[in-house]
Amino acid sequence: MSDEGIGSYLNPAQMAKLNRLALNSRYVVEGTLAGRHRSAQKGASTEFADHRSYMPGDDLKRIDWKVLGRTDKYYVRRYQDETNLRVYLLIDRSGSMNYSSGEHKTKFTYACTLAAALGYVVLKARDAVGMYIYGEKMDAALPCKNSFNELNNALKILKGYKPAKGTAGADVMHQIAESINRRALVVIISDLLDDQPEIIKAIAHFRKNLHDVIVFHTLDPVELSLEIKRGAEFEDLETGERMIADPRSMAKEYKDLMGTFIEDYRKACSEMKVDYRLVKTDEPVDTFVRAYLEERKRLSR
Amino acid sequence: MLVFANPMFLWALTAAAIPLMLHMFQRRKTVVTPFPTLRFLKAAQKRSSSRIKFENFILWLLRTLLLLMIGFAFALPVLRTTSGGSWLTRTRRDVAIVLDASYSMNYELDRGKVWDICKEAAAGVIEGLLSGDRVCVYVAGDTPVPVIEKPTTEHATVTQAIRALTCQPSSSKLDETVALALRSLEQQEGRREREIYIMTDGQAVPWQGFREAAKKEEKAAGDDKAKISREQRDKVSFFALLAGAQQPDNACPSDVKVTPTLLLAGQSARLNVRVGRTGPAKQITVAVEVDGQERGRRGITTEADTESSLEFAIGGLEPGVHVAKISTPQDALPVDDEFLFLLRVRKQLPVLIAGPQEATRYLKAALAPGAADDSVKQIDAAELATVDLRDYQALFLCDAFPLPGQSTLRIEEYAKTGGVVIVFPGDRADIAAYAEMKILPAQPKGTEEVPVEQAARQLKRIPNQKDQVVNFNLSLPPGTVPTVALKRVLTFGELQENAAVLVTAGDGVPFMTGRAVGRGRVFMFSIAANRDWSTFPLTAFFVPVVHQLIRQGAGASVQPPHLVQGSNIPVNEAIPNYREDDVISAPSGAQLSIKDNGNRTFFIENLTEPGIYTRAKAGAAQPEPVMAVNTDRFESRLAPVTPQELTEWTGFKKFLTAKDPEELKRLIDEYRNGRSLAEIFLWIALLLSLLEWWVANRALRTRTGATEKLTVDLAGKVITS
Repeated sequence: MSDEGIGSYLNPAQMAKLNRLALNSRYVVEGTLAGRHRSAQKGASTEFADHRSYMPGDDLKRIDWKVLGRTDKYYVRRYQDETNLRVYLLIDRSGSMNYSSGEHKTKFTYACTLAAALGYVVLKARDAVGMYIYGEKMDAALPCKNSFNELNNALKILKGYKPAKGTAGADVMHQIAESINRRALVVIISDLLDDQPEIIKAIAHFRKNLHDVIVFHTLDPVELSLEIKRGAEFEDLETGERMIADPRSMAKEYKDLMGTFIEDYRKACSEMKVDYRLVKTDEPVDTFVRAYLEERKRLSR
Repeated sequence: MLVFANPMFLWALTAAAIPLMLHMFQRRKTVVTPFPTLRFLKAAQKRSSSRIKFENFILWLLRTLLLLMIGFAFALPVLRTTSGGSWLTRTRRDVAIVLDASYSMNYELDRGKVWDICKEAAAGVIEGLLSGDRVCVYVAGDTPVPVIEKPTTEHATVTQAIRALTCQPSSSKLDETVALALRSLEQQEGRREREIYIMTDGQAVPWQGFREAAKKEEKAAGDDKAKISREQRDKVSFFALLAGAQQPDNACPSDVKVTPTLLLAGQSARLNVRVGRTGPAKQITVAVEVDGQERGRRGITTEADTESSLEFAIGGLEPGVHVAKISTPQDALPVDDEFLFLLRVRKQLPVLIAGPQEATRYLKAALAPGAADDSVKQIDAAELATVDLRDYQALFLCDAFPLPGQSTLRIEEYAKTGGVVIVFPGDRADIAAYAEMKILPAQPKGTEEVPVEQAARQLKRIPNQKDQVVNFNLSLPPGTVPTVALKRVLTFGELQENAAVLVTAGDGVPFMTGRAVGRGRVFMFSIAANRDWSTFPLTAFFVPVVHQLIRQGAGASVQPPHLVQGSNIPVNEAIPNYREDDVISAPSGAQLSIKDNGNRTFFIENLTEPGIYTRAKAGAAQPEPVMAVNTDRFESRLAPVTPQELTEWTGFKKFLTAKDPEELKRLIDEYRNGRSLAEIFLWIALLLSLLEWWVANRALRTRTGATEKLTVDLAGKVITS
């Protein structure tokens, strides 16, 4: 592994922790290769799907003779096709992702690390991973590839990006939703600090196109609790606007508001059957990914 | 009633504005902190602003109250109330009692003398003090008299001293006495409540000092010994017992004028008596006694609250000093019902003529036409050094110059102490000889021969000028024309101080000049006393002129018939012909203290006792009366003051007045039934500080959320712990 690609985000121990994991889609997907994921197509797997009437040109091997004996009609047997999983990682590099409360990584760095970990898991399962990087606009769209080299290259490109100034999350997500023409697993790694209804609409757009969607809502712990002891002049990382506030006196109201904000996303995602996870940047990425994937595996049984 | 023992600290209450000022002017030290989005902060700030405002208001209120309590505590508030029972214990105090000892305190009320009522009230005040309270006593007379100068805890001793006091026949100055008592209280150590009790009859006169001081203060701050500072007026509590009659009734002889001032045997004395009246119009009988014999009695209807006058004529007085008395009927204030004075009647005026026989012949003949008349003595000028000039009313110097230096000095002293010196020039002396005599009206410049054709001159009296000290009224027999023939005249230089040309011969030629010297008079003629220089001794008006000169001079230097009490009175203004070996006795028999101020000018130190003073001359069998002393009668004008007037005049902040001892006792009970609230205020301040600490820290705990965290479980749910 190169130190410039995935090695710059995950060390060998972390990668070892992720080795036996797999990111499965909860829905059928449309891959390009044969794999272990259920495909929307009927194919040549061993798992019986259904019967249909024989048509000229069908392989005679597929005629179900038992049915012919019972009904004197020609039916062919159809089997469930199995394909590989295509995973698209959507990484938000808006201005607000550049926040760190000091002790932890910035949310953008954390998102990159999370993307590296997920990409590693996906490739290890011989699935394909693609990547979209966006800020105020779509910055990069890397196609799905089933190759560590491609992942390394994608991560190198990601490494070269710094957080942008503003954000246009909803518009870009709509754009991405339109560009992915096969059912895939879409992973959104963002702080979602945008127009909440628009973001929810964009997620719904993915679901409308039958994509499986996972939202990793990435936030700094201080963003959640406002644990700042001194009065300060706060500067908005996206707009540059400033305001003087005493965080101690407004912590309670702030936490209420932030809780409502998160709950609204969680509820909307739940209704859309989107897997929503709040990720705090003080949690180790490998631990979180492992815990998440095992939880997802358990729930999908 | 809440009063403050240390009101200066009320200024500290302005410190209550400090929390508000700090809040308004504090500079926020803020650090620019990048944050992902301000949307939640803005919304949170909007939501929390009302709560924060309320918490800040509570904190501001607590801190302001805390500072107010501390300020109030240092101002030593004392709650005066009759409620509260034993909970309101008393505080220690220093007390000064000022007793008005003016003679109006002798006023008789139904229940006794005002003076006795005030003394008993003072004793009652002391009785009400607690053990450990200190008390001092001052008596307000003409001068403040400390009875118990320093506050003491020996209450019994002080009460005894008060009961032994007697009222003084004088006026009183309460302002000076109160100021002295205040200083005495201020010199005491320890912070105690200070109270001054003024026991008076409530007449306006003793309070006049306060009134005048208030007027002075309005104009300019002066260094007055009676000055009481604003701080003293505010810090000390004053009580006044105004025990006198509310509608006093009094009549008294207040003054008498005797004319002529120089009484000779055979003359009638005319007495102009003034009678003061306080109260409604009334018929009053005024009597005159001379030497214990009633010599007149007249009725007078006085108007309400005013002064009237009436006259008596007393004739047939023998030569000598007669003790006379004006009296009005006894009333509620008997001390001023009599007014004493002396009638000094002289048989004749002893005159000394110094000069040679030929120069004094006409003068002696004019003054002593009878050979047996021993009132005129003629000596040679050289004998002046051996004669006691004080035995003579007038001294004629006729061609007496040049004089020995010692004689010149004695003549000058004689004139200054009231003697009359009449100078006639002569041929013996040259002009320079007059220069030694400093008391002459003008220094002679030389002599001038008068031509025969200009010799006849008409004498002309120069009208008295304004501010002229020495006057002369030329009274001549009817039908006479004052014309003289001059042969030679003395010419004069510039007039000396207090000198004037009294008579001229012709136009502008000084004939007679006069000068006031001390209490005496010096007259100088420009012609000799014999026929050598003029025909003046032969004229019909020579005799009247010299007689008038003697009598006028004698009248000017005569001692007044009565005096008022006072101090530092020159003896020559009070006692005629005083000698150092004279023993002057007061009416009580005590010897009067007379001091020499260093240059043989004698002063009576204190003339405090009203009555007849006598002199025992060395070798004389009986003492003779020399002075009649009366109390100044302005205390007899009884004008009660109101408490409002007293408050205005004195400027006392805490000033309570009572009309009788019972009311005073009630006021004292109400006033003293209180306690200092300083300790309570400090306890409240402590409680407030604890409450402030709790509220402030509670607010901080609420705000920081140090233990409250927003976490997410594995299912992605937000958990608030």
